[in-house]
Amino acid sequence: MKHLSEEEQLDIYYEDGSEESKAHLKACRECSAEYAKFKRSLDAIKPEAVPTRGADYGEQVWQRLQSRLIPYEKKAPNWRKWMTWRAAALAAGCAVLLAAAFVGGRYWEHLRASQQPEIAGNGQPQQRVVLVVLTDHLDRTERLLVQLNHADAEDKAESAQLQTEARELLASNRLYRVSASKEGDPAVAGALDRLERVLAEIANDPQLTATDLDRVRKDMNTSGILFEVRVLLARKPNQEGGPTSAKGVSI
Amino acid sequence: MQGNDHSIVRAVLAGDKEAYGALVRAHSAAVFRVAFRIAGNEADAEEIVQEAFLRAYQRLDKFEQRSTFGTWVYRIAVNCALNRVGQPGIEAEYRYGEESDPEAKTVQVAAQDADPERVLLGREVSAAQELAMQRLTATEKCAFVLRHLEERSMGEIAEVLGVAPNAAKQAVFRAVQKLRRELAPLRGNA
Repeated sequence: MKHLSEEEQLDIYYEDGSEESKAHLKACRECSAEYAKFKRSLDAIKPEAVPTRGADYGEQVWQRLQSRLIPYEKKAPNWRKWMTWRAAALAAGCAVLLAAAFVGGRYWEHLRASQQPEIAGNGQPQQRVVLVVLTDHLDRTERLLVQLNHADAEDKAESAQLQTEARELLASNRLYRVSASKEGDPAVAGALDRLERVLAEIANDPQLTATDLDRVRKDMNTSGILFEVRVLLARKPNQEGGPTSAKGVSI
Repeated sequence: MQGNDHSIVRAVLAGDKEAYGALVRAHSAAVFRVAFRIAGNEADAEEIVQEAFLRAYQRLDKFEQRSTFGTWVYRIAVNCALNRVGQPGIEAEYRYGEESDPEAKTVQVAAQDADPERVLLGREVSAAQELAMQRLTATEKCAFVLRHLEERSMGEIAEVLGVAPNAAKQAVFRAVQKLRRELAPLRGNA
């Protein structure tokens, strides 16, 4: 038979003992005697008398303590708290929008950059402007060549007008030719090169006589160049798929 | 009282420092009692009371409204007392005559035994008991005081000491063993 340990006796003393322990204590004379001694020893430990304190003791404690306390800050009214939260949420929302705009912009730029060659091939507004300008130039050139082919050799005034027009066209023609060469369009560059020689011949002739005009028509094959210009004017709009009014070539 | 305490706490947190006075007045006596029983002298107990209410005020925003303010400040006071008793500089004003020979133990009580009640109960028994208490570790003493003198449950003691219930029970058991051993010669004489 196992007797109660000191720990089990302590549990019984503080009324935490198990039913089994309590039953054993009742049944076992030896454990009862041991427990009686245990109980006496603990009963002897009595609480020391606590010095009495007067009714105003709490007040005394408070008076000593008071000066050491820092008041809590008054809580903000609910509406202010709500406004603070709202402002914080608004600021957070703005920050998110800004971040989204920034990231979106970066993505859009990236997308545009990657699509650039394809867009260039399809003809963009900037290129269309160039096409329209070139078309105008070719129109004027066409008119000049038609005028040249049918010019009255004896009419000096008409010759002078041809020369003036040729000088104006010569400068712009040079620019278009250089651009076409850079863009790698040999057909346009070649046509503009031949046209430039005709324009230069007319513009730089000191006295544009009937003989000179005839020579230019024959030697430089102005009819052939006129045909080339017309082909260019007729070809480009269909290829670009752009506005029907916009005639011209890609440079 | 509990509801009233909670409303006072809210008032204090809202900036009314003076309202805290009501809590101090209401709970000072209980806090002093446990502080005295653990510390063993009035001077330390007074300081523990001050410290406990100061700490409670500083942590008032963390006070959980589930428990009462009285229970909360009581726990804080026990912790303050535990820290104070655990400090090496805080020793009872007692000295052993001969440590090596239990039979020849003599007790010299300094200063505090002008209490007439103590004289009546027996100066030697009371002093020996106090001496035995001083020889416990801070945790053992605290656990024993709370269980034996304050009649707190093991769960409460464990919570106050911040240990598992079984560890609290062991602390009480060790304290009882030591006290019985220390006071055995006295019982033999009686």
